[in-house]
Amino acid sequence: MPQEKTSSPFIPKISKAEQKIYADVYDVLLGGMLLSTVLFAAGVALALIHPHYIPLTHDYVERNYNFSQVVHGLLALRPGPIMLVATLLLILTPVSRVLISIYAFYASRDYKYVVVTGLVFLVIVLTVVLGSLGLQ
Amino acid sequence: MFYSLSFVLLLLIAAVIAGFFGALLGVGGGIFIVPVMVLMFHLPMKIAVAASLVSVIATSNAGGSSYVDQHITNLRLGMFLEVATTIGALSGSVLALYLKDWLMLLIFALMLAYMGYAAFATRNVDDERIAAGDFARARQDRLSAYLDLHGSYHDEAADRVVNYVVTGAPTGMGVAYLAGMASGLLGVGGGVLKVSAMNAYMNVPMKVAVGTSKLMIGVTAAVGSILFFMAGLIHFYVVAPVALGTTLGATVGTLVMNRLHSASLKWLFAILIAYLAYGMLAKALNIQFHLHWPVLA
Repeated sequence: MPQEKTSSPFIPKISKAEQKIYADVYDVLLGGMLLSTVLFAAGVALALIHPHYIPLTHDYVERNYNFSQVVHGLLALRPGPIMLVATLLLILTPVSRVLISIYAFYASRDYKYVVVTGLVFLVIVLTVVLGSLGLQ
Repeated sequence: MFYSLSFVLLLLIAAVIAGFFGALLGVGGGIFIVPVMVLMFHLPMKIAVAASLVSVIATSNAGGSSYVDQHITNLRLGMFLEVATTIGALSGSVLALYLKDWLMLLIFALMLAYMGYAAFATRNVDDERIAAGDFARARQDRLSAYLDLHGSYHDEAADRVVNYVVTGAPTGMGVAYLAGMASGLLGVGGGVLKVSAMNAYMNVPMKVAVGTSKLMIGVTAAVGSILFFMAGLIHFYVVAPVALGTTLGATVGTLVMNRLHSASLKWLFAILIAYLAYGMLAKALNIQFHLHWPVLA
């Protein structure tokens, strides 16, 4: 029979470092959400100023992925690139949360969790690699 | 499709309603918004799934941050299970790239049916367990002991600090993998699966499970979204109103939720889910076998 590990009720104590992790995570989540919301709203509003036919097909979506034109499109306030950036920002919010957590666990010398969170980041990297290899 | 004010408004309103009901019923907006986009707006399944997945990140950020702020979320438990959910999300979204639309619709219908069943099968016995101080007295498995998985939070309803130790880490990881897979494949958060697994197998109080699940949903959905983004499946003109709507609906829904009793909601949920499951099944059969089952939308 495995050794019984009945932990006594512990006093809830949160170290300064851990409190900072919570505060940082909160800031990132809120900031990313607010900024992408504003950009999405701006994109939709701009798109509605000049309504035009937009096909709901895969082909159209792929043609819209014009990264070389994104910067140019942003400066020209074109709705497509603005919404693309908002989407990217939204996707990057949890990713940056993971990165901040790695650093915060490292700073509080919680090396086990540096590894655990590092694994999560590795899966994200693997996803990007697989995506760029051109699945499909 | 003409990108007119009426189209955007309709999609926005549909997303608000989906987000609102999602939050009210304690599930993400994904399980409502995907069928709405497919059945009402006739969007291709994969574009609907990709758009829903991006909006799931938005609602996770919105809902998750308040739990983090109140220190209900268990960050360590979240990080640990995220290893499994992200691997699941990657395999799910890779699968989504290769599956035919009608098969995805069929799997979605099955998932809805399971959700309807789970809503009635799960019973919340947290109140009694909190009163008995049960959560702090459990035997940890080796993995959760090694990873120091435990925590405490202030429970407002019981007005006391609840201590708990986490158990059953391997089982939890298995279910988390499945939840991640559902997320990447179907564009949902997979919260119901994770919450019930944490509560039933891992000795995690319900509120902690909900908050921790919300945090995990963000990075899980991000992994699927990255793959869909790179595969060219994200329709930005569709994503924008859907993300805006579900975020708004979920925020309002969360505020209202605390003042409602859930018994009558369960029936509403069951009826909604049953209808959507039927609709998705009908659409799948229509695409593949040209059968015409009547659907309202």
